[in-house]
Amino acid sequence: MKEKTQLNDIDRSIYDFRYDEDKEDFLDSGITPDIIKEISQEKNDPQWMREFRLSSLEIYKKTPMVKWGPSIDGLDVNNIVTYIRPKSRMNTEWDNVPDNIKETFEKLGIPKAERESLAGVGAQYDSELVYHNVRKEVAQSGVVYTDLESAMHDPLYADIIRSHFMKLVPPTDHKFAALHGAVWSGGSFVYVPKGVHLDIPLQSYFRLNAKGAGQFEHTLIILEEDSSLHFIEGCSAPKYYEAGLHAGCVELFVGKNAKLRYSTIENWSKNMFNLNTKRAIVEENGRIEWVSGSFGSHVSYLYPMSILNGRKASAEFTGITFAGEGQNLDTGAKIVHNAPETSSYMNTKSISKSGGISTFRSAVTINEKAEGSRSSVSCESLMLDRISRSDTIPVIDVKTDKCDVGHEAKIGRISDEAVFYLMSRGLDEENAKAMIVRGFADNVSKELPLEYAVEMNNLIGLEMHGSIG
Amino acid sequence: MEKVKLNKLPVPTFGRSGVNYTEREINSFEAENLTVENNDSKKLIQYIDTTRTFETRLTVGSGAKARLVQIFHNSGQTVSRLDAVLEDNAKLELIQLYLGDDTVSEINTRLKGENSEFSADIAYSLDKNDTLDINMIAEHYGRKSSSQINVSGVLNDSAAKTFKGTIDFKHGAVGAKGSEQEEALLLSEKVHNRTVPVILCAEEDVQGSHGANIGRIDEKLIFYMQSRGMSEESIYRLLARSKLERIIRSIEDDDTEKRIYNTLEWEYEQ
Repeated sequence: MKEKTQLNDIDRSIYDFRYDEDKEDFLDSGITPDIIKEISQEKNDPQWMREFRLSSLEIYKKTPMVKWGPSIDGLDVNNIVTYIRPKSRMNTEWDNVPDNIKETFEKLGIPKAERESLAGVGAQYDSELVYHNVRKEVAQSGVVYTDLESAMHDPLYADIIRSHFMKLVPPTDHKFAALHGAVWSGGSFVYVPKGVHLDIPLQSYFRLNAKGAGQFEHTLIILEEDSSLHFIEGCSAPKYYEAGLHAGCVELFVGKNAKLRYSTIENWSKNMFNLNTKRAIVEENGRIEWVSGSFGSHVSYLYPMSILNGRKASAEFTGITFAGEGQNLDTGAKIVHNAPETSSYMNTKSISKSGGISTFRSAVTINEKAEGSRSSVSCESLMLDRISRSDTIPVIDVKTDKCDVGHEAKIGRISDEAVFYLMSRGLDEENAKAMIVRGFADNVSKELPLEYAVEMNNLIGLEMHGSIG
Repeated sequence: MEKVKLNKLPVPTFGRSGVNYTEREINSFEAENLTVENNDSKKLIQYIDTTRTFETRLTVGSGAKARLVQIFHNSGQTVSRLDAVLEDNAKLELIQLYLGDDTVSEINTRLKGENSEFSADIAYSLDKNDTLDINMIAEHYGRKSSSQINVSGVLNDSAAKTFKGTIDFKHGAVGAKGSEQEEALLLSEKVHNRTVPVILCAEEDVQGSHGANIGRIDEKLIFYMQSRGMSEESIYRLLARSKLERIIRSIEDDDTEKRIYNTLEWEYEQ
């Protein structure tokens, strides 16, 4: 018998505290025109948004569920509460946030991170933003970081929101994009003016506390020419037995010569269906960098898409997925090369254990106009036991000859030779294996901001104990 | 005739990618059953130069060796299915050459037996409006079974090719190894190339890998050959020919090789 490596599941207990909600704050579950109108009423939507929500609902009803990917049996959308009235209005003063919410985010370390390493913070609790703040000097540079609802009513930004909202991810994109269009609530609006470079990141943190609820936040980021930004998104929820649903939407507009890094650590509880849509469009010489860690959720469908629309635009995707017991995480990325001399690089790692299923799914398209483009994809999967599953399903679609596309993938277990080598250098077996697994995840963790890299290392937990027999 | 979904990807993916299946109007399949008895060795050659819809069912018995050569030089539409089963220590070498028009080809190899081995060497040369859709599936059931798939070819004019290659490690295929490699040389701005290299894995102790290189020739290589006096056109012609020639030479049957050379209007050298 060969040796077995045991990795413990990620310890999620730090996320599992919760507070009881006041049921009177819940709108009825389900998705009907009346519920949608009620959401519009609660949020004081402008007329165009009221109509947009209702037309999205019609699209939702007509659109079938995709015929590929993990099963979403167990998710009864008609029983999901789509909107929970906030206990307080949005605050820019931390002291004004209600105590239990404040305590939640204190436990998650958000205010501490804001003080130490962030240019601005947004915190969403259930359906609405409860806190949003940016440093004074950042605001003075013209950077806007606020909740989407306020921006929609601000004469300065109302038109920008209307001309960009769900233009990259239209409600016709898929069933849950249509649902998002109908019931979206919360999320952030970021606008970085021409020539402004933010050296320290902005962060939004999404917390779904309520049982049997959905979170449908919308993030809209616009970078004007020659600007740059690092945006961090974190998500978590306590564990319940009822299914929860996260169907957020992220739309990123990266202008000429602009650079956006979008980092996500997704750590939803294992009762969550994470059906999230993220998309970026990149203009001439612009760059989008995705760093994506998927650790939580019961089922995930997540494929951030980069559309390289201007000459020399580039995209980089770095991702890690860790699927443990009861998890079916279908993750990857899509890249569309639409202009000459564009380039993309995708590098992913996935780990499956304790019956978890991880699937890497990608699509790289080089269109007719993308002469001189280059793309490289590399994905590696590690199987840690015999009861798990790991699949790799990439599609490469090339419509021009003047390009250079490479793809490589590997799947396997921890190499006995590598363990033997390290042991011959004085490490014991457990440490040798732990070192190999950490090394496997290293090129992703080093792309994360330091405090997240530390969190990821803790998350992976890697309490390893080799057993021979 | 009715329109039938063919070459279904074993696990469907993004609908908009257009690779989950292809459709053709076909009649029923003509079927041929071939068996290589235990510990026997057989070489089989199929030369397809007409429009056909056919299925080859091949069983390679324990310890047996089979070498199957399929040359697709059809005019019009051809739909081929190869269904192979490999018993313990069985070995199947598959050589396929695709030379044009409209071909849909599915190869499903079940490596049932322990230590069974499957190798596939595939080359194609497509031009004009040629279309080729290949769906290669290697299912590993047997312990220490191995598969190696190599695909290379050239697309010119408005030719379109889809290669779907799946290595499927089933639970229990302990010690199995599978690899696939594709190189596609694209010579016209109107070509369309799709590559879908899938690995499915339900077993821990396996090794799987795939790689693909798609596009034009490395500029350094062109520069080197130009510095030796060759024109760019002749460099591409030479490299395109070398991709086919490697496969043709491996057929090891003079008559078949001569026939292919005649078809390609190349001079045959012993």
